Amino acid sequence: MDWFDGLLKPIMVVVAWIMVQFHSLFEAVGLDPAGGAAWSLSIVGLVIVIRILLIPLFFRQIKASRGMQLLAPEMQAIQKKYKGKTDPASREAMSRETMALYREHGTNPFASCLPILLQSPIFFALFRVLIELPNIASGKYPPIGPMSPELAAQAEAATIFGAPLSGTFMQAGSGPDAMAIRIVTVVLIIAMSATTFLTQRQLTMKNMPPAALQGPMAQQQKVLLYVLPLIFAFSGVNFPIGVLIYWTTTNLWSMGQQFYTIRRMPAPGSQAEIAMKERKARKSKSHGTIEEAAAPAVIIEEKPRGQREQPKRKDRNKPRPVVDDVKDKPVPPKDSDGPSTPTPGAPTKPKK
Amino acid sequence: MTLRSIARGIVRAPGRLLLLLLKGYQRFISPMTPPTCKFYPSCSQYAVIAVQRHGAIRGTGLAVWRVLRCNPWNLGGVDDVPPARPVHHHHDVAPSTH
Repeated sequence: MDWFDGLLKPIMVVVAWIMVQFHSLFEAVGLDPAGGAAWSLSIVGLVIVIRILLIPLFFRQIKASRGMQLLAPEMQAIQKKYKGKTDPASREAMSRETMALYREHGTNPFASCLPILLQSPIFFALFRVLIELPNIASGKYPPIGPMSPELAAQAEAATIFGAPLSGTFMQAGSGPDAMAIRIVTVVLIIAMSATTFLTQRQLTMKNMPPAALQGPMAQQQKVLLYVLPLIFAFSGVNFPIGVLIYWTTTNLWSMGQQFYTIRRMPAPGSQAEIAMKERKARKSKSHGTIEEAAAPAVIIEEKPRGQREQPKRKDRNKPRPVVDDVKDKPVPPKDSDGPSTPTPGAPTKPKK
Repeated sequence: MTLRSIARGIVRAPGRLLLLLLKGYQRFISPMTPPTCKFYPSCSQYAVIAVQRHGAIRGTGLAVWRVLRCNPWNLGGVDDVPPARPVHHHHDVAPSTH
């Protein structure tokens, strides 16, 4: 794993640096520097710094999905076209057409892969830093950036509800703090699974049109939604408490962000959109007395639909002799390629 | 003949390994996250096709470039893997007589 550490080294240094900075900030505020609160909160601080750095990306994504309401009719047309077709080929054709539609309208509701992939090294780096804390303290592992052996020893000894931050469920051992480690890790794993589960469920149940909830893919996703807590339980027992704190905090942040997104700009055709429209209707109703004056104007603007009546030249409005009437018949578009005789008064096309 | 097939197997082994990793991701990790990719085919599917079509080295390169493009400043859309390059022929060398 040496090569892996070599790759992660710069990120590990940054992670350690942010943690140490937050730690000294909390020390200055008056928290016990050797206590678990200061070190746990510095992990929370690390999450906050990373997620704040990612906020521009989040807003960029929201901006990119602005036009979603506009393409709702075309979207429905695609969904209608592939309604009830569950074979992989038509599912793929459907997503291809949907993506092409987004592109055409310069909008895209999806986040993107790169920011998510970029976050995982940070997670691994924190994992490595926390795992190596005892070794840094004892001098077996070289200090990572500002994380000196003294600080590492302090962080390693810091306990949250009696459990050290670098403790894992599997290596709780049989020391005096073994029980505390087990309890804290289990509580954190439950919190982590619950936040992930709720975030996912909110997304699938509320922010997806009913059409997207059909098909084998959606079914698979549904199954995984319930298998997920188990996966976390199995992997979480190998994670140090510090990593579990990081993960839970990140999940809470994502949850809040998603809640905001779904409330502000739900996916067209989803349950969340219906809820938003209801909210708006209620709001305008409660303000009805004030906005009543403005309301009719809006309705009138909606009215003129369908084909616009073509303006006519004044003399054409006049009844005409029968002979002229035959000649003046507008040329149907099919025959427009033929040598149309330009009769005076006929609707002429621009000519070259 | 057998020597050739063994050589081919060795040459293709890294690609096979990559495909295995990608399929593992698609099967187990991807369903845990909400749909994320801005493109069709998705980044992981693009990587699978690229490695199958262009081999481990070129395929990885194409996939990395695709993931780099899958960022918030890109609009996404349909983006297919480029077709395989035609097999290179040496036109200046006389063809071997069979």
